[in-house]
This record gives sequence, C-alpha cells and structure tokens, in this order.
Amino acid sequence: MPSTLERSTAFTRRPGWSLYLWRRYRLPYLLLLPVVLLLLLFLAWPLASVFYFSLRRTPLGEPSQFVGLDNFALLFREARFLGNILASLQYLVGVLGLSVPVAYLAAVLISSKVRGAGAFRTLFLLPWIIAPVVSAILFRTMVDPYTGPVARALETLTGRKYLFLVNPQLAVITIIVHSAWRSFPLEMLLIAAGLTSIPQELYDSAKVDGAGGWAQFRYVTLPLTKNQLFVAVLLITIWTLQDAEGVYSLTQGGPGYTTEVVGVRLFKEAFIYFNVGIAAAIGVVLIALSVLFMVFYLRVLGAGEGQ
Amino acid sequence: MKARLRAGLAWLGILLIGIVVFFPIAWGVKTSLTAPLGLGGGSGLIHLQNYRYILSQPLFLLYVKNSVIVSLGAVLAAIPMAILGGYALARFDFPGKRLSVLLLVLPLLPAIAVLVPLIVYMRRVGLYNTLLAVILANVVFNTPFAVWMVRGFILSIPIEIEEAATIDGCSRLEALWQIDLPLAAPGMIAVGIFIFINSWNNYLYAFAFTTSPELAVLPQALLRFLGAWGTNYGGLTAAATLALLPPAVLFLLSQRWFIMGMLAGTGK
Repeated sequence: MPSTLERSTAFTRRPGWSLYLWRRYRLPYLLLLPVVLLLLLFLAWPLASVFYFSLRRTPLGEPSQFVGLDNFALLFREARFLGNILASLQYLVGVLGLSVPVAYLAAVLISSKVRGAGAFRTLFLLPWIIAPVVSAILFRTMVDPYTGPVARALETLTGRKYLFLVNPQLAVITIIVHSAWRSFPLEMLLIAAGLTSIPQELYDSAKVDGAGGWAQFRYVTLPLTKNQLFVAVLLITIWTLQDAEGVYSLTQGGPGYTTEVVGVRLFKEAFIYFNVGIAAAIGVVLIALSVLFMVFYLRVLGAGEGQ
Repeated sequence: MKARLRAGLAWLGILLIGIVVFFPIAWGVKTSLTAPLGLGGGSGLIHLQNYRYILSQPLFLLYVKNSVIVSLGAVLAAIPMAILGGYALARFDFPGKRLSVLLLVLPLLPAIAVLVPLIVYMRRVGLYNTLLAVILANVVFNTPFAVWMVRGFILSIPIEIEEAATIDGCSRLEALWQIDLPLAAPGMIAVGIFIFINSWNNYLYAFAFTTSPELAVLPQALLRFLGAWGTNYGGLTAAATLALLPPAVLFLLSQRWFIMGMLAGTGK
C-alpha cells in the first residue's frame, strides 16, 4: 500500500498526471463518486454555508443581507445564551461522570468468564437503539409526581413531594440520567471490545509479580483499554454536546431556560422561530465547541498512538 | 470458594445494571397495559384499551406509514452507495484514499447545524415540505458510517477468493456482486438495519424539513402527543411501545452482525 501511494505522489509533478490517475484508478474513483458527490453537495457545502448564513440576517421571504458579526454579538451579550453554554457543559460533565463508570463496570462484567454473562452484551444495548422521544416518554412516566414509581418511592422515603420537571435541579438531574441511560451501552460495547483483546498471559504474569486485583486493573486493564475508552468518551461527548432531541422531548428546555442546552436553543431558533441568522451563528458555536473538544481529547489523552 | 464469590458478585452487578436498564422499559410496557382511570372494567391484568384506541386512530397509522416510507427509502438509497464506496475502500489503493478518514470525522460535526442552510436550499429546489427531503437527510447523515461498516465486512472476506474468481474471468464488479456480497450478506443486512433504526428513531430531520401535519413521522407524532396528552401515560406508553418494537426486533435479530459492524466502523 505505501508503494502505490509514493508512486502516485511522484506523478503529481508531471503534466498530464490527472489523466494518468484517471486511467489507472478509474474503477475505485467511480465507485466512490456517488458517496463523494452526496457528501459534497449535502454535507460539506451546507457546512460551509453555516458560516455564510451566520454573517447574514435572513428574514422569511425577503433577500438576506450581510450584517457582519452582529448575530454573534447579539448572542454573546445575552444572559440566556451564556446560560445555554453553561447548561451544555453541565449536561456533558454529568452524562460522562455518570455513564463512563457504569459502562466500565458493565463492560468488565459482561466480558468476565462467568457463564451466561455474555448474553447481556446484547440486552444492555437496548437503551441505545431506542428513539430519544420514546425514552423521554418512558422517563416522564417514571418521574410523574403522582403516578411515577421513582417520584413515589422518593416521596415514601423522605416524605416530600418531588416535582421532577418543575424543580430546576431535578430537571437537570433528569436530563442527565436520561442521557446517561441512553449513552452507557455504546461506551460499554467499545470498552468490552478492548477488554476481550487483552491476552490472559498479561494477567498471569502480573499475578506472578504479586499484583493484586487493583494493581492488575491499574497497570494492565486500564492502559490496554485506553484507546477504546478514548473513542467512547469522544463519541459520547460529541453526541451529548450536540443533543437536541433527547432534552427537547423531555423538558423542551424548561423550567425557564434551566435545561436549554445549546442544541435545544438551536432547535428552537431554527425550526420553531425560523431565525436563520441566529440559528446559523449558534451552529457555528456548536461546530467550534465540537472541534475544540475533539482537539482537546486528542492532545490531552494522547490517544490514537499506535492506531 | 473464591471463584464462586467472584461469580456471585458478577451476577449481583449484572442484576443491578439490568434493573437500571430494563426498569424504565418494563414500567412503560406495564403502564401501556393498564386500563385508563375510570375505565377499569373487565378482569385480568392486561388491558388492551390503550392499544386499541391508538390503532383505531387513522392519523397514527398515517404516521407509521410515513415512518416506514422514510426509513425504507433511506435504506434503499443509502445501501448501494455504501456498498460501492465500502468496496472501493476495502479493495483498492488509490491516491487520496487517506481522505476516507473524513467519513469518520464528518459525522462528528453537528447535523443540527448543517440542517439550517439545508432548509434554505430545500426551499429553493422545491423539496421543502416533502418526505423526499426527510429521506435525503437520513441518507446524508447515515451514509458515511455505513460506508465504513461495509468496508469492514468486505475486509473480513479473504481477498484470495476474489482473486481466484478474477482469474476465472470475472470482472471486479462481477466479483463484488457474485462473491463478496453473498459472503457478506448478513453484514450488509446489518448495515441496512443500522440505517433503518437511525431513520426510524429520528425526528430532527422531519421537524426541519416538513410543516404539514400529514407528513409527520412517528417520533414527531410522539413528540406532539407528549405536548397534547400531557399525563395520559397509558396512551403515551402504548404509542411509545409500538414505536420501540421495530428497532428492538430488528436489532435483536441481527445483533451479532450489527455489533460487529459497529465495532468495525469505529475503527477497531
């Protein structure tokens, strides 16, 4: 594989190289053409347009006009938007903090040599293939102050009434638990794939060196699942940061704006109020946040080595 | 003794996580089978009133139909592209191949942001407020990962089989059609199910591209029920259970290949 690549780059300096490339690699290029066209037209081009629209005001039915950074200035002077960003960060920290440890534990359990444990790999994945609006209905049913089992159990235990989606703190907790419930299965799947690829001999020799359970985990298991952990954390971070459907189904951003994460705000501006300019500006912020986290993880966790 | 203790602890952990995973689902199904207040007549534990009511609503059946059209449409449009692209990535070396990493990176950017200009463009080309626009969005956002999944499945087929066929006079495309696809058929079905489930579950694209109530897909209708029905949990959970069944059944049927494809797709 490297040899073809080296050869081909050498040809880039010659005249007529594109014709040569075409003759030689026509088949793979043709096979990829539909996908590439699709993604250029409907993904790359609109992605670039988000930046263009964020600099314009586009009233419905009228021609748009250039307004520079006005949309951004408007947003960042708003207490509500700063609140949206904080709500997103809080949501992200909560979901990761809750789902990653549970996912790791679940991964260890389903990859253990206990008979029958493997079957739960499939069953535990169910929350992940359920639609966000469906799981939101399930969670709303559970926390209803009069009929929900979770609210009722808490009431019996403490003697107080719990209005989950009315009380701001409880609403935040509800969206976090809901999202963690949806996210942990994929993290578990990825981490379990890492666990099963660790050769048993490593544990045996660790035992010979006198390593106990914790030391085996700290020096064998954890380092060897680092890459899978990285992919899992990255994916869930990106999805949590961009989530609109899950939170919107559950609380629509309420009460007030307490659970209005950036995705929900964008959802409302774009699809309910049709503020194209503001929505595009929020989109740019969301893209920036996503890229920021990707770069941060790549740098700090230094993953990808040896891949 | 120690091994038994360990197995006991493992089962305890699995039990606890199992309760967390299944309690919301089980409670939802139970609620959907409970008679609405005041209509408690009849004996037995299972009441199908909620389901009967929902399935007698012509609008509900229309939403199901829309969801089927959108999800199947997305699968049928995306699968051929994913197969051709995935095959090219698995079996050929060519300049620019490294750019295929973009197929994994692009889906990490926020789809919801991309939808904003897409709405404007769909309006311009007259696709706004059609199911075709919803299908298109599902195809666009599912194809990159689907290509990567197909690539993984094709790579798992030994290339020698294909080489033997080309020596016998098969062209590469004939080899793909006659050798790789039959051998990778379970994998390809899993890729189709992956696209189907994602399209079935999504309401973002339908919300963005349609305004007519009769074009709503099932999750969008569920969202509307949530707003309109408030605390009619029997009706809500019955509708939710019906919406949950197709993905759950398809996933359980294809789980082995589905999971394999997921892991191949995330770069394992």
